[in-house]
Amino acid sequence: MAANIGILRRPVATTGIWSWVTTVDHKRIGILYGVSALFFFVLGGLEALLMRAQLAQPDQTIVSADTYNSLFTMHGTTMIFLVVMPAGAAFFNYMIPLLIGARDVAFPRLNALSYWLYIFGAILINFSFFMDAFPKQTWVGYAPLTSHAFSATSGVDYWVLGLQVLGLGTLIAGFNFVITILNMRAPGMTLMRMPIFVWMTLIISFLVIFAFPPLTVALTMLMLDRFFDTNFFVDIKSGSDPLLWQHLFWIFGHPEVYILILPAMGMVSDILPTFSRKPLFGYATVVFAGASIAFLGWGVWAHHMFTSGMGGWANAAFSGATMTIAVPTGVKIFNWLGTLYGGQLRFSTPMLFALGFVSMFMLGGLSGVMHAAVPVDGQQHDTYFVVAHFHYVLFGGSIFGLTAGIYYWFPKFSGRMLNEKLGKVHFWLMLIGFNLTFMPMHIVGALGMPRRIYTYSPDQNWGALNSLISFGALVLAFSILLFIINLVRSSRSGEKAPMNPWGASTLEWTIPSPPPHYNFAVVPTVSSQHPLWDEEANVILPPALPAHEEPEMPAPSYWPVVLAASISMLAGGLLIYSAMSWAGIAVMAAFGALGLRAIYGWIFEPPYAQGAGHHHV
Amino acid sequence: MPRGLLRRTTLMALAALGVLSLAACATPQSSFSPASDVADNINTIYVLVVTAATIIGFLVLMAMAYLIIRFRARPGGKARQIHGSNKLEIAWTVLPIGILLIITIPVMFFVNATSQAAGSDAVKVDAIGHQWWFEFRYPGLGPDGKDLVTANELVLPIGRQAGITLTSVDVIHSFWVPALAGKTDMVPGRTNHLSPFTPNELGTFYGQCAEYCGVAHAKMRFRVKVVSLGEFEKWVAAQNTAAADPDAGSAAARGWALFQTQGCSGCHTINGVSAGTFGPNLTLFGERSTVAAGILESTQENVAKWIHDVQSVKPLPAQGSMPSYKDTLTEAQALDLAAYLKSLTVN
Repeated sequence: MAANIGILRRPVATTGIWSWVTTVDHKRIGILYGVSALFFFVLGGLEALLMRAQLAQPDQTIVSADTYNSLFTMHGTTMIFLVVMPAGAAFFNYMIPLLIGARDVAFPRLNALSYWLYIFGAILINFSFFMDAFPKQTWVGYAPLTSHAFSATSGVDYWVLGLQVLGLGTLIAGFNFVITILNMRAPGMTLMRMPIFVWMTLIISFLVIFAFPPLTVALTMLMLDRFFDTNFFVDIKSGSDPLLWQHLFWIFGHPEVYILILPAMGMVSDILPTFSRKPLFGYATVVFAGASIAFLGWGVWAHHMFTSGMGGWANAAFSGATMTIAVPTGVKIFNWLGTLYGGQLRFSTPMLFALGFVSMFMLGGLSGVMHAAVPVDGQQHDTYFVVAHFHYVLFGGSIFGLTAGIYYWFPKFSGRMLNEKLGKVHFWLMLIGFNLTFMPMHIVGALGMPRRIYTYSPDQNWGALNSLISFGALVLAFSILLFIINLVRSSRSGEKAPMNPWGASTLEWTIPSPPPHYNFAVVPTVSSQHPLWDEEANVILPPALPAHEEPEMPAPSYWPVVLAASISMLAGGLLIYSAMSWAGIAVMAAFGALGLRAIYGWIFEPPYAQGAGHHHV
Repeated sequence: MPRGLLRRTTLMALAALGVLSLAACATPQSSFSPASDVADNINTIYVLVVTAATIIGFLVLMAMAYLIIRFRARPGGKARQIHGSNKLEIAWTVLPIGILLIITIPVMFFVNATSQAAGSDAVKVDAIGHQWWFEFRYPGLGPDGKDLVTANELVLPIGRQAGITLTSVDVIHSFWVPALAGKTDMVPGRTNHLSPFTPNELGTFYGQCAEYCGVAHAKMRFRVKVVSLGEFEKWVAAQNTAAADPDAGSAAARGWALFQTQGCSGCHTINGVSAGTFGPNLTLFGERSTVAAGILESTQENVAKWIHDVQSVKPLPAQGSMPSYKDTLTEAQALDLAAYLKSLTVN
């Protein structure tokens, strides 16, 4: 009886589009996250290319000032919230249950809800483009530029509400992964036997849980200002404070940096040992360093505000605190190098990207120490030097690391190998293009070029360096094109992947590629950090189960997507409200009711298709 | 090996800095051509930090290259199953702490030194950010002890400390003259203090708003002119003298009439001529090297271009900023106005 309660029958499709919309399988959700992130990566990349076209020469008018300002606002918002975070989530989803020997995450339907909130939030932000209101207040949205007086179009509204919607999804995912990792590990997998990627995911999930609330608070205040004329950030004379926004934003924003980089650090910590044929150097130290980075990351937010006039004491304190983060970061880099020592290094594509990550991320860390020094930051802040710095961290770090992860685990995702030859061309072009693009940015920033300027005059003499940067961006874009070709071609006709193509040591390689929907026919037992290297019992491929003996898995559900759509349309209704109040209220009421219906549908629907036979009175 | 390597990397770092400082000569907004005491100190720390980072980065990359070549897989090779080394891991925790202290100590001294208030004999300036231009007020130096007001070109005497306060009337801007001091934000509702600095070089220095402040942020620039004390005093005196009427029949005289009849005087002050305060003060406009907030060189043609068609120079919104005079003035009239503005000089 319970299974059929609701306006929607329980979905049964196992193939086709509805099977994807209603899926609660962590692997399918992981693929959805990955493909969506890749789509937005291309979109954000095209935005960057347009900016590079405009800046290639002084005084160009390829795009208007308004358009350019939208481009950098959306490039930042897209790459951070719609690309790197969901790309990390793709790996958390697909890999964490496999790495810890589980059959799914703790809350499969909540997992689906997280994904749909992300995708609807992303659509909401980008929908502004079609309403001629593409946001242009920068991805940090400093007050009071975001108030009605200075941002008359509804671009800020779309941005605020879209971020709220996808932020909710991220927060839910944070809880989901903390609980999954703490509760669902295979027997014998103690915390200190977890692969480093699992450790980093656990740490990131805690960061998400604590970092998103301050952002939610800031966005809520801004939303109230924008829609209901409150005064948190608007009129200074009547008590608002523009710096309040900056503090709240960066209390979120700095831990966010670690949310973006730690997944890559985790992957690389697992990839380097595989291709060095030896364990990670100082496993425990790497775990502690990751936790220290995450912890210290809470005490450094105001280094984004050295120039805001906080005063000498605050600047000195946050400068010192920021310097300390270089210590655990350095420890990680040295431990990665130590992992190479004495190894038998094989330079398959994942290894190349992992080594690219270590070197490029280190350069980003070094420039980070430079602007931890207050006087140097006074010159570098808000210039292209900073743009160079965070691209070394987020592209040279996160993207190189995530790409290493894709090459490494693609065989597990798809059952096919990515083309190695194309992969190596991709790596070298990306490394060259990346450095051609971002290395000269250090110099042009030091020569005084501020960021977020849509053009510059010839008298500044920044033209030659900017031409070089734009050329580098083309090389970089071409390398990404090769990557996409490789992904598409290999997923169709790549070489078939064996169970453990890289000779790795962790649990995901004990099951077929791609894994069956229940992952592990027999839940494995582990007794070391390297179950495949140290334990003979785990090396044998388990026999395929006959269909009637397959473990029962959580059944698909419509409710996550319906609830996510309802929440998003509550935000949509608020947007309509600012133009037509009654229409907006009607939309919010309708979708509020539907959302409530979805919550009850969810409550009454058992997680498994064939319930244990409980009867309601 | 380490010793030769260290020397070579130091040389490379210095060479890189050399290339940078060469480039700095041709790039007027560079942060590597200090022209004040504060900028000198920043530069010293900057060079220290860049050199340290370059050496460390180079050494680590070299170590990595060595490991990659030395330990590449060989047929029949066996990896050594090393799990870590307590000694090494402690070493590479403690060593960076030492290096960071070397950087942190001068930083703390700098922060302390630059957090002090300006001396009592400093030239005081209140700099105010507007979308998208800079207003400069010298308290007490104006007529009858009021403020001396100018815009987009700050004039400072060499060898005298400058104490500049910063604020904004609309959104957050940032005041940045790399040759003189690091940037500090201009936050509405707050009064920030730029680190007090003493210019030690004559010349005109480039400045630019460094905090995104809306559509025309890229076109919000300014200049700082550092002059001798005598010249500064002459400029202050001239700034406080009512502008003389231009010769009858000249282009400037026609421009003067247009200035008063076309609404210019409603927004712009020229001492002795008009008292508008919405736009930049134009007293002694002829002394300024640029027009449109540091964007165009201040030639008669450029000033006329700006007046006639602001949109071709700066993407200003239709409301609340300098209007376009395309439909109200002929090009010849705009040139006349420009001639008048250019005639507003010290002599």
